[in-house]
Parts: sequence; C-alpha cells; structure tokens
Amino acid sequence: MEPNIWPVWSYLVYVSISVSLTMWVARTLHKNGRIFLVDAFHGNEGLADSVNHLLVVGFYLINIGYVALALKTAHKPVDLETAIELLSSKIGLVLLVLGGMHFMNMIVFSRLRRRALHDVAPPPVPPQARIPVKA
Amino acid sequence: MRSLTVLYDARCGLCSTARYWLEGQRQIVPLELLAAGSAEARRRYPTLAEAEPEELIVVSDEGDVYRGPHAWIVCLWALDKYREWSFRFAAPGLLPRVRDLVEWLSSRRHRLSRALRLRPDAEIAAALDAAGACGSGHCAARGEGAR
Repeated sequence: MEPNIWPVWSYLVYVSISVSLTMWVARTLHKNGRIFLVDAFHGNEGLADSVNHLLVVGFYLINIGYVALALKTAHKPVDLETAIELLSSKIGLVLLVLGGMHFMNMIVFSRLRRRALHDVAPPPVPPQARIPVKA
Repeated sequence: MRSLTVLYDARCGLCSTARYWLEGQRQIVPLELLAAGSAEARRRYPTLAEAEPEELIVVSDEGDVYRGPHAWIVCLWALDKYREWSFRFAAPGLLPRVRDLVEWLSSRRHRLSRALRLRPDAEIAAALDAAGACGSGHCAARGEGAR
C-alpha cells in the first residue's frame, strides 16, 4: 500500500499560502501605517519608523505563531477533495485571525493619532472674559 | 495654558462631591480646586469675588475666565479620559443642551444635594468645629472663638 501523501502536500501548501498572506498584510500595514504614526508622533519620523517596525514584528510573530499552531489536523486528507476542504478551512481561519490582527493594528494607529491631536488641542470653548492674574 | 483654577461652591454637596471626583481623575492640564468666596479665592481673583457663587468659574493661569457651561466643558477638557467628551459637548449640536442641563443642575444643586444626601465640605467643617472633633489645639481655639 502506498503511503498517504495528501497530508504532507496539504501542510506545505497551507504554510506557503498562510505565510504569503501574512507577509502581504504586514507589508500593507507597514507601508500605509507609517503616515499615521508620523502624524501621531508630531512629525518625529525616527520614532514613527521605529514603532512601525516594532508593530510589524509583533504582527509577524503572532500570525506565524498561529499558523504554526493551527497546522496539525485530526482529519487527514485522503484525496484531492478532502485536501481542498482542509486547506479551505485552515486558510479561512488564518484569514480571520489576520483580519482581526489588522483591525487591532488600525485601532492602535487611530488611538495614537487621536491622542496626539487631543494632547495639543486648545479648549473647545472660548473664554468669556480675561483678567489680570497675580502670581 | 499650564494650569486651571476651578472655583466651586463649597456649600453645595453636589459641587463638593464633583470636586473630589475631578481631583481623582487623571488630568492633562492640572486643576486646582478652590472654594468660591474663600479668602484664597478673593485674594487671587479680587475682580471675580462674588458673595454667592451662582455658577462654576474656571480661570486659567493666563487669566482666561470660563463661566457656567463653558467652565464645565473646560473641566472635562482638562481630564485625560474626558477630553473627547468636551469636544462633543462643545459642538453646536450639543452646546445648547449642555447649557440647559448645566442651568437646570446649577439652579437645583442644593435641592439635589439634599435629595442625594451629599454633604458639602463647608457643612462638614462646621459640624466638626461645633463638635470640637478635631484634636489639634488650633482647631479647638477657633471653635471657642466662634462661639
């Protein structure tokens, strides 16, 4: 009897698709998040680039960690049909995790930016009078 | 703007409670709470001294004076957690309602304080003086003098 090669091939395809997807999302984040961070850090590009890089590293670690942990399956594929089913459910989960992580990153970016804008904002209402002040 | 002084009504329980709430919040701009009409308040702001503080007054270190609803909004603006809200409340859609609410609360503050059993600082101080509860000689002497 020939050994079942479907699981190994499924795993390889799963890992390559998942890692490529992770890289694609991380690069998108890295490229488009930078401008937010530069704004959030009041034009301090060095700090923005550093935080951006750190965020992307965290993103890679969590996603690739998840991909690795979710690799093993209890229902081994035995033909093309079961292999596709397995890949679709595994990659679907990876996509959902990526989506969730991406969303979290967006929240972090917008929080940082909003904070930066708020910290320097003047009072929203004008004073009704002005008096000389003693020390 | 580096600091804000808040002149509140220490004879009103609701206002005294609000004072401690404000002091407990994380502040972006430091707030100093002063009882309106107190000696310190009169010394610092002689032009603002009013016998009956009918509305909340906030004075910035630069001398900007905010009264009533504007003072409430500036207090929120000074707080880390509520700066967001100060912008919302100051928007044209909400400001008239904030004004109404502040007027409604301010005019009923004594009645509300009684209903909610919130004791003003001034009343507690008077009760302590009357009971001679404070141990220090200075405090007792002042109690004697008042009688």
